Amino acid sequence: MTPLNFPLPNVVPLIPEMFVAVMGMGVLMLDLFLPKERKVIGGYLAILTCIIAGLLTVQIGMAETVSAFYGFFVQDPFSSYAKLLIYAGTALAVILSLDYIKNEFGVGEYYSLMLFAMLGMMIMASAPNFVTLYLGLELMALCTYVLVGFQRDVLRSSEAALKYFILGSLASGILLYGISFLYGVSGSFDFATIGAAIEHSGSGAHFALLLGLVFVLAGLAFKISLAPFHMWTPDAYEGAPTPITAFMSVAPKVAGLVILIRVLADALPALNVEYVTIFSWLAVISMAVGNLAAIAQRNIKRMLAYSTIGHIGFIMLGVIAGTADGYAGVLVYMTIYLFMSMGAFAVIVLMNREGIQGELLDDFAGLSKVRPGYALAMGLYLFSLAGIPFLGGFWAKYVVFMAAIEAGHLYLAIIALLFSVVGAFYYIRVVKYIYFDETRVAFEFVENRLMQATVAVTAVAVVAIGLYPQPVINICKAALGGII
Amino acid sequence: MLELAFFYMFAGLAVVSALGVVLTSNTIHSVMFLIFCFFNAAGLFFLLDAEFIGIILILIYVGAVMVLFMFVVMMLEVNFAKLREGMLQYLPLGGMIALALFIEIIAATGSGVFSPEGIPDPGHAAQSVNNTVEIGKLLYTRYLLGFEIAAIILLVALVGSIVLTLRTRKDVKYQNISRQVNVRPEDRMHKVKM
Repeated sequence: MTPLNFPLPNVVPLIPEMFVAVMGMGVLMLDLFLPKERKVIGGYLAILTCIIAGLLTVQIGMAETVSAFYGFFVQDPFSSYAKLLIYAGTALAVILSLDYIKNEFGVGEYYSLMLFAMLGMMIMASAPNFVTLYLGLELMALCTYVLVGFQRDVLRSSEAALKYFILGSLASGILLYGISFLYGVSGSFDFATIGAAIEHSGSGAHFALLLGLVFVLAGLAFKISLAPFHMWTPDAYEGAPTPITAFMSVAPKVAGLVILIRVLADALPALNVEYVTIFSWLAVISMAVGNLAAIAQRNIKRMLAYSTIGHIGFIMLGVIAGTADGYAGVLVYMTIYLFMSMGAFAVIVLMNREGIQGELLDDFAGLSKVRPGYALAMGLYLFSLAGIPFLGGFWAKYVVFMAAIEAGHLYLAIIALLFSVVGAFYYIRVVKYIYFDETRVAFEFVENRLMQATVAVTAVAVVAIGLYPQPVINICKAALGGII
Repeated sequence: MLELAFFYMFAGLAVVSALGVVLTSNTIHSVMFLIFCFFNAAGLFFLLDAEFIGIILILIYVGAVMVLFMFVVMMLEVNFAKLREGMLQYLPLGGMIALALFIEIIAATGSGVFSPEGIPDPGHAAQSVNNTVEIGKLLYTRYLLGFEIAAIILLVALVGSIVLTLRTRKDVKYQNISRQVNVRPEDRMHKVKM
């Protein structure tokens, strides 16, 4: 038998991934040696991991495109920027967990699973290939299933995890089935090779390709909770521990959108007409479901779940536009959404009351009289989510709407505008509770410096980006290298 | 010719047993059908000269995964009457979706892309080719990254299942083994002068 001879793959682009994987295992091991009252160190380590991974990603160089591991991994500006968003989302979610999770069983496993989920998202962001995409997706999904059901003794947490797990597995199966059709036509898992093969395929292959496209899109739409594949979102958001809800509302969405853009731009450009039609409908349904159903919610976590569905509908306008401006708009939207959503969840986690976190809308009544600072921050996030001018959320919507109009989807932009007006109603209703109603429930507020800093930083970011959005837009445009 | 006959036997039985998995209402029967389905799929792999995958399918899926399934099914008390309750209510919509998918899949596979002309027959591998060696070579070179990620997924599955199941319950009495082992006679027995 001949000895195995092969060039050692270039591991430099994977240094952040390897670091996060090692730290994930390190947190798991360290937890064994920590006494109960010092388990929180695992959380600080997780935050440190996110920061160092961010520095590594920047250090390795964001400007150039490097392919590694026989084309199973790619590092380009697009993936690097997405990874920075993922680190930020994870770090903030860990900060929110520090106090929330301290009395639970298995604190070390919790932080370790968050790091592994982050690793899965990083792999997704760098996937040039369906094999890597699927493995990253499963790594992320498996961690989030466990994290959603982490509070084993809370019935709705277990129920949410089970629902999420069953529907998630179904979506993964559908995605795989779609991939198998694309593989059957092209004979490859590589996005670029599939793209080239589709260009040259005859009309006989069209139907098989269409079926593959539909299944792949349905599988990915589930992950970013685009209606009508959103059914799991409200239940999972409500049942999950609140920091995990915050985590799920940002980081997996960034990873899902990035990989969706990569699949569409690299593998399926030849099916542009078909997917634009599909996504136009899905975006409209998503905006309608998200913004109309949110009005009826009394639980703020459920309301924010529908709000996510609505926002994903808006974000899809950027994907539908399919231009540089559109894709940059998606990144801008996710960047600003990260701050708004994380900030809002931080306030919810801070309003702690023996097992129940400020979850009902009524709980927010009169917040301005008890804690004017939190009230102001929450007001800013909500106005920003509603898209009131000169806050971050306004520019997020502006960029994607303009991209859609320039790409010739005027009618979609008008529908989106109408729904964002509808959406403004339920956001501003919460502001009314906070400022104009009498206090109904007394709360103990969590006193945690890092969490208070999170609220302050995100609120300042929402205002600062609102007043001066150009740097963010420029950075996102520069981050499109490797895609267009 | 013989090969073709075997192909139709394995493929036909796989389809029939797959139908059996979904259509029988007794979960134990479903699991048995699934095991049979895996055997036939393994037979198809053998016909493709992929003995390693065929054997792995039998060893791991039939030998381990399905036995576990069987345990789970037997331990859960499934109420069959309750399972059938919603059936008629969801049948029209579910049936329509299933029919639409069925027609689409027939149309897609029938359109000629997957015909023998489109995908040439690779023929049989030489006798000297060793499946296990070839898969090992590919797995540790070209597919190294995927292999490593799969390893981490397994770790996460392990950690996750422990996190979700291992917890101390306050209403159950436990034995503290280290305390039992460390017990000294003088703690238990007092000599009293009479």
